Amino acid sequence: MSFLDYLQIALPKIWIGLQITFKVSLICLLIGMLIGFPVALARVYGPKWLRWLVTAYVEIFRGTPVLVQLFLIYYGLPQFGITFSAFTAAYLAIGLNSGAYQSEYFRGAIQAISSGQMMAARSIGMTRMQAIRYVIIPQAFRFAIPSWSNEAVSMVKISSIVYLIAVPEMLYVAKVLMSKYYNPMQTYILVGLVYLLVIGAMTLLLNEIERRTTIPGLETARRGS
Amino acid sequence: MPKSDKLIVKIENVHKAYGREQVLKGISMDVTEGEVVVLVGPSGTGKSTLLRCINQLTVPDSGKVWVNGVELTNPKIDIDKARQHIGMVFQDFNLFNHLTALDNVLLGLIHVLGMKKEKAHDKAMLELKRVGLANKCSNYPGQLSGGQKQRVAIARSLAMEPIVMLFDEPTSALDPELIGEVLTVMKDLAVEGMTMICVTHEIGFARDVCSRIVFMEYGEIIEQGNPDKMLNNPDLPRTRQFLGKISELH
Repeated sequence: MSFLDYLQIALPKIWIGLQITFKVSLICLLIGMLIGFPVALARVYGPKWLRWLVTAYVEIFRGTPVLVQLFLIYYGLPQFGITFSAFTAAYLAIGLNSGAYQSEYFRGAIQAISSGQMMAARSIGMTRMQAIRYVIIPQAFRFAIPSWSNEAVSMVKISSIVYLIAVPEMLYVAKVLMSKYYNPMQTYILVGLVYLLVIGAMTLLLNEIERRTTIPGLETARRGS
Repeated sequence: MPKSDKLIVKIENVHKAYGREQVLKGISMDVTEGEVVVLVGPSGTGKSTLLRCINQLTVPDSGKVWVNGVELTNPKIDIDKARQHIGMVFQDFNLFNHLTALDNVLLGLIHVLGMKKEKAHDKAMLELKRVGLANKCSNYPGQLSGGQKQRVAIARSLAMEPIVMLFDEPTSALDPELIGEVLTVMKDLAVEGMTMICVTHEIGFARDVCSRIVFMEYGEIIEQGNPDKMLNNPDLPRTRQFLGKISELH
C-alpha cells in the first residue's frame, strides 16, 4: 500500500481523534482556568486558612504525576463506589492538574502588579473586591497570557495520556491504525505532524490575542515597578 | 485663602510601629478648612505613614483620627465610604496602567460614586481640563510624562470631590523640569481653598502657598508654625538647620 493510499485511510480516522484531542484539551484548559484563577486570588488575597488550603491543593497536584492522578480517579475511586466515565475522569484529573499549574501562572501575574495599584484603588474608596475586579484582574490577565500560552500548548500534548484509559483521542487512533497496518514510522510521523500543525496554529492565535490586548507602556510599567 | 475654623482633620495621639521600630510616637494635629499644611523632615521619620494613617490605608496602632467629624479609627464605620472623599496623590503616581487618562478618572465616578456614564464622562473631562490635560484623555499612562501622570492622578482624586487632599511627595519622582507643572496645579488648588496636607520638600511651594509648616523627626512633631516663622526665625536650632539645608537645595 502506498503512503498516499494509507493517508486516505488514516486521515479521516486521525481527524476524528483530533477532534477528541481538541475537546479534551479545551475542556481541561477551561476547568483549569476556572479553578486556577480563583485559587491564585485566594493565595494572594485570601485569609490564612484559605491560603493554606489552596496551597495544599496546588502542591499536591504539582507534586505528583498527572498519570497517577488520572489512574487514582479512574481506577481508584470505583473501589469506594465512585465511578466516572473515561471522559469525565480525564476532565477531572487533567483539569485539576492544570488548575494547579495555571494558578501559579496567574499568581505570578497578580504579584507582578505593583502594590501601589491596589493602594490607589482603595484611596478613591473602592472596596477590596472592586479593586481586584476593576484594577487587578484586567492587568493580571494580560500579564498571564505568555505563560498561559505555554500551558495551552502543553495541554494539547499532555491530553494524549488519556489514551491509557481508552479515550479515543488522536494517539489512541494512531495506536489502533499502527497495530492494524504495522507501520509505526508512517503513523507516528503523521500524528506528530498533525500535532505540530495544530500547535503552530494555536501559537499564532495566542500571539494575536496577546498583541490585541497589549496596552502601550503596560509592559514597561510591570518591569519598572 | 478662604479660612474658617471648621475642623477638617483631627489627629489625636497616633502611634504606629513596624515590628520594633516606632514610626509614629504619638502625633496630634488639627487641620482646619482651607489650610495647606506642609510636612517636612528627614526621610524615614514617618511623614508618609502619618499621611496614610489619615485615610487608614495604614491603620494606626493607637490614637484616633477624625475627618470631617467622622472618627475613621472607629472599626465600625464604613471606611471605603469615608475614603471616597479623601483624595490621595502618590509619589509614584499609581495611575491604573491598563486604563487611559480619561478612564482613570472615570473608574471611581462610575464604580464608587455610581454616576451615570454620560454625566461621569463630562465630569472626568472637566477635571482633566482643570489640570490642563483634556487633550491627553485617550493616552495610556505609559504614553504620558511623569508630570502629566501626576496631573492625571490629581484629576482622578479631584473628581471624587474630596474634602481634603493628601499629597505624598508628589514631585519626588519627577524630572526637575516637570516639577513646575505639578506644583502649579497644586498652587491653584490651594488658592481655590482646598484643604491640603502635603509631604514635600518643595520649599518654594511651602513659602508661597502653605499656611503651616510642620517639621517632623523620629516620629514626632518637633516644631510647627507659619512659613515665615519656620523659614526665617524658628525656635529650635534643629529646625533652622534642617529647613536651611533644604532651602539651599530648592
